[in-house]
Amino acid sequence: MPMPDPEPVVQPDAYLAALLELATPVLLADASGRVEFANREATALLGCTAAPAMALDGLFASCGIQGRIALPDAAAPQRFAQMRLSDGRIVNVEARLLPDGGAALTLADVSAFVREAERARRDPLTGLANRVTLHATLGRLLQADEPLTVLSIDLDRFKSVNDTLGHPIGDTLLRKVAERLGTVAADGDVVARLGGDEFTILKPGQFSQQEIKTTAKRVVDLVGRTYALEGHMIHIGASVGITQAPQDGTDNDVLMKNADLALYRSKAEGRGRFRFFEQEMDEQMQARRAIELDLRRALALKEFELAYQPQVDLATQDVVGFEALLRWRNAARGLVSPAEFIPVAEETGLIVAIGEWVLRTACRDAASWPEPISVGVNLSPLQFRSPTLAQTVLSALANSGLAPERLELEITENALIEDTDAVIALLNRLRDVGVRVSMDDFGTGYSSLAYLQKFPFDRLKIDQSFVRGMGENPEAGAIVRAVAALGASLGMKTTAEGVETEEQLAAIRLEGCTHVQGYFTGRPMAAADASALLTQPRRVAEIIEEEGL
Amino acid sequence: MNETEILHRLVYYSRNEVEGGADALDAVIDQILAVSQRNNTEADVTGALLFNTGCFGQALEGPRRAVEATFERIQRDTRHSDVTLLAFETTTTRAFPNWSMGYVGAKPADADRFGGIAQTSGFDPSRMTADRLLQTLHGLAMEEEG
Repeated sequence: MPMPDPEPVVQPDAYLAALLELATPVLLADASGRVEFANREATALLGCTAAPAMALDGLFASCGIQGRIALPDAAAPQRFAQMRLSDGRIVNVEARLLPDGGAALTLADVSAFVREAERARRDPLTGLANRVTLHATLGRLLQADEPLTVLSIDLDRFKSVNDTLGHPIGDTLLRKVAERLGTVAADGDVVARLGGDEFTILKPGQFSQQEIKTTAKRVVDLVGRTYALEGHMIHIGASVGITQAPQDGTDNDVLMKNADLALYRSKAEGRGRFRFFEQEMDEQMQARRAIELDLRRALALKEFELAYQPQVDLATQDVVGFEALLRWRNAARGLVSPAEFIPVAEETGLIVAIGEWVLRTACRDAASWPEPISVGVNLSPLQFRSPTLAQTVLSALANSGLAPERLELEITENALIEDTDAVIALLNRLRDVGVRVSMDDFGTGYSSLAYLQKFPFDRLKIDQSFVRGMGENPEAGAIVRAVAALGASLGMKTTAEGVETEEQLAAIRLEGCTHVQGYFTGRPMAAADASALLTQPRRVAEIIEEEGL
Repeated sequence: MNETEILHRLVYYSRNEVEGGADALDAVIDQILAVSQRNNTEADVTGALLFNTGCFGQALEGPRRAVEATFERIQRDTRHSDVTLLAFETTTTRAFPNWSMGYVGAKPADADRFGGIAQTSGFDPSRMTADRLLQTLHGLAMEEEG
């Protein structure tokens, strides 16, 4: 701008008037930093007016503005700063040196851009911090050697809410969970949603395990309280995994992994609880991964085998069936317990392929038996999620030539919890061709009786815990009696499992069970032995006598 | 209120977590009532609160969203726990039309003098159905109004 005179006061009125009306907020300061002029836009933006000869810093302070700007000089003729106005708006300030040593300041409201950037740091659904922000904050604290605690939170049963009530209600629920977590968090804590139903609370500062326990308990309690949403009563739970720095680690990824390991453990222990990370969890996870690697090779290496445990009719004492039991014999590990490898097989989905092998092998073995007795095959709940299950069963029957009536699928209640209707439809389809279905581990689940109403099982297998408990407490006996009576009135056979002594055999007979399976009436045996047992049909009593039991 | 508007009623009981004696509890109940009366009047929610033998019982009624929002606020309150929802259903009439949040029965500090609410109201939440709790609340409310 041409300056006819170095003294601003003698500038032509027209320039001054134009500056005053300029759409950009402008402030002019003299060489000593006093405000000489503020145009209308500047006054409107700042929300206050400058008293004559007021210092620039004083003006900003009196307007409640956070942030200051150093004035330009010959060395730095242009300076920038960002300030926050009292109403929360963010303003970029640019100061340029004027020939008289003063400065012209232009202000730009950049709130919208900043908010946009802020949005990239937030989870749009809940308004909580997102993964990026969480990791950035975590990294900053760790770099500064600050002690901190990470609580990894996962919702229990959220998926079924989403599936049954729909995503809009699922989303509303996530917002409610976010709000509740917000009430647990203290000032300075970062509450983040990492996606899906995964949340994290990052607590900077030194806290004892006891203090963190209180917070974790509160999370589990609060998130687990009933929600009333859109006319629905919704029950979900929260599982929490906890890790602390520097004790458990000082690296972003290590800490997040620790928290997840602890979370994984608390979920495995039954959900709705919290666990602190322990170093051995890491070791156990490594061991689990090693099992997984071996398990992936086991089918190809033919390391699986089936053992058959006799099922005896209490009325005739005849062996009327065998339950096929899976064994894994690994070269390095020896015989691996199903309790150890089945959960891994289920988690990795390997159970589908292994289960198919079991079905085909059991059908083939049974087809070669000299007597047309039944073979029980366990199905994991996970196998029901495979769309090919029905096809696999039918093909196993066709390939082996086994009569469908001789195959008895043993399922637990867990198979029915999710997608109950679809599972029942599938079971009905298999029953229509003659396949039998029994309910395994009866009495250990939540609502067995409801399922009995939905599907006519051929057999109830009373869990061995009740049979074992009969000697010590009368309640177990009463339960066995009740289940036997229930089975009788519903036209279902009842098999008592885990019978190990003569007293137990006498007791379950007395309570009215129709069948028995356990060490006392026959241990699991190799396929060839099972076949041999049938070639020389012997009464159970004789076997018992021979074995000197 | 529009008479054809669909109302929702929510009934729950919960366990008291307020520490301290009867006087502390009285103060808390006064505060709960003051806050809920203020909030509920605005939100067109009515209802009644009962306290006894370590438990709160409460009925809330009004437009669905208002009842849900009120209940959500109640759920976040640390002064009680083990909230058991007995009912959440539509209704055509309010049981407590004149009560932004009535307190029925004696204050804990007066409990001895009144011989305990359990005896007068039969309030035993563990055996209470939604209907019975509602009836109890309603019965006590009518006594107070009458």
